[in-house]
Amino acid sequence: MIEVHHITKTYGKKSNVFTALDDVNFEIPDGASVAILGKSGSGKSTLMHAMSGLDRPQQGEVMIDGENILKLKQKAVDTFRATKMSFIFQSFFVQGNETCYDNVSLPLEIAGVPRRARKARVVHALEAVELGSKIKSKAKDLSGGQKQRLAIARAIVNQPKILFADEPTGNLDSTTGDVIEKLLFNYNKKNGTTLIIVTHDPDLADKCDIKIAIKDGKIEEITDAKKTRPTHSAMTKTRTLGRVQ
Amino acid sequence: MKASDIIRRAGRNLRQAKIRTLLTALAISVGAFTITLALAAGTGGKQYTDSLIKNNGDARSLSVFAKSQKSEDSGPQKYGATDAAVSQGYLGDSDISKIKTVSGVESVTPMYNISAAYMFGPNGEKYQTLLSIKVDQTGVNLAAGSLTNNQPAKGTVIVSESYVKPLGYASDKEAIGKSITLHIDKSSIAGLPAAGKDMTFTIAAVDKKSDTTLDYQDGIRVSPQDGQDIYDYQTPVDAANQYYGVTVRVAKNADPKTVQASIKDKGYEVFSLQDVQQVLFTFVNVVMGGAAGFGALAIIASIFGIINTQYISVLERTQQIGLMKALGARRRDIGRLFRYEAAWVGFLGGLIGTLLALLVGLLNPWITDKLNLEPGTKLLVFNPVYSIVLILALMLVAVVAGYFPARKASKLDPIEALRTE
Repeated sequence: MIEVHHITKTYGKKSNVFTALDDVNFEIPDGASVAILGKSGSGKSTLMHAMSGLDRPQQGEVMIDGENILKLKQKAVDTFRATKMSFIFQSFFVQGNETCYDNVSLPLEIAGVPRRARKARVVHALEAVELGSKIKSKAKDLSGGQKQRLAIARAIVNQPKILFADEPTGNLDSTTGDVIEKLLFNYNKKNGTTLIIVTHDPDLADKCDIKIAIKDGKIEEITDAKKTRPTHSAMTKTRTLGRVQ
Repeated sequence: MKASDIIRRAGRNLRQAKIRTLLTALAISVGAFTITLALAAGTGGKQYTDSLIKNNGDARSLSVFAKSQKSEDSGPQKYGATDAAVSQGYLGDSDISKIKTVSGVESVTPMYNISAAYMFGPNGEKYQTLLSIKVDQTGVNLAAGSLTNNQPAKGTVIVSESYVKPLGYASDKEAIGKSITLHIDKSSIAGLPAAGKDMTFTIAAVDKKSDTTLDYQDGIRVSPQDGQDIYDYQTPVDAANQYYGVTVRVAKNADPKTVQASIKDKGYEVFSLQDVQQVLFTFVNVVMGGAAGFGALAIIASIFGIINTQYISVLERTQQIGLMKALGARRRDIGRLFRYEAAWVGFLGGLIGTLLALLVGLLNPWITDKLNLEPGTKLLVFNPVYSIVLILALMLVAVVAGYFPARKASKLDPIEALRTE
């Protein structure tokens, strides 16, 4: 369960204040697929950074399984990210000069997994994205779609509870993009991992269980595909709060 | 992150920037090379000096002379100003017994002045010769024969190699155990009727000049006992028991330096081999220190190279750093990654420099040949301990140099870093 309460993030000082996030509230149940939908500059990336502890908003709290990660010490947040979260980025961020194996091995090394225990997990993750034959290839020799699959392997190798995907198909053609989307949703369904996709693509957002539309740092609308009417009390409450501001 | 994983990642990152890594390492290697060679030359120089000293003197032997002037004032004294005449510079039996009382003195042997009128061997040809007493246990460069404690036994002599053929022996080896006769004059004072006698000795050893011997004169060297006999026979009674100096042997358990000081306190002039050794060692140390200083300067210059390289590396890898941080790497991990990379560069530089210096060490025979040193002499002696310490020190220097770039890397904001395209 991820609960976001009253998150406010501003940049700049005094006369030049720019509010990136303005009192944002919502809840995400475990295992859901969530789209944070918004145009560029709407604050959707900032929201993702805040939820993952990469950024520290001035106000509010991000409760993950009952723990406010914004109150944790840097070391604890790092450990949290190393063991419970993963990221997929629009421009892949795979290390071109390294082999696929070393790319996928990185999160496990960061989490301090012993060398022997790593191998099976790395191979398994690469096979899950159908890159089993590319273990020893350099990442720079891969195609765009393969690179993003490699990034997915890197993201799932430490079996995260939450998987953040920042415009995962933004740099890909539609056919390759579809493959990536399928991979992500399959993984989400199969393993019960919470999938949070940040996107400006409404088609992609429609495929998610929950759609959080964000505009100018405020929540515009929260749609839960599983519930025809948003009557859930907590959900209603957060929506209302979002609108009041 | 585990240190072993960081070290492997650091090594891999360096391999991806091979030329840059190599160039930075080469800059360090210049200093490492210079220092290694300086240390090798210092070690070799000291060893060479040591062998030089051993062949020219005996560390346990002190030469004691009378002080030439009574006062310590500089310049000559006015005639008649003091009652005491300027010392003749001779030592007598009273001096010998006085020196014998100094603790740590094993024996005192006067430096007898002896001479032989001529020598002859089995062929009967008479030759002039230089006669001296082998007082100390200085090493002898033997051509044939053998000696105990580098001294001939009573009744035997050491003969120079150049004497062997004129005396009538076919080779050095053949002369060993054979005889040589010396004619000793009764008095060497001119004008007096020359009485004399023949003394026959057995040749115990044949010696020759070695390249590390500073002064060598062809001649015959007799044992101290025989020397005293010759002296007693040869010297007129009124001049007897006056020696221009004595040789003191220091006991094995005593420190030659202390003994030297206590004899000096008794009012004598004392010279030891250690004085010479000290001077030579100081010289070697100065040369070595100078060369090592240049090496240190080169290393200081290379520090800026490391800093520069590491800064560029941080800029280049902003995205990688951001990714690692997003994946939960700690600031400490990132800092260590860059510090280990610097350590690798330092290690590589030290290794290259040391190996290059070792290559120069292959020139040892050529250097020995060019300087006309004893064959087998090595002027460059490499000590593996020095090399290991040097490489470790260079790794440390590199890590210190990489501190600021590493800090910059560890402080990078992952959000900013990942925005970089």
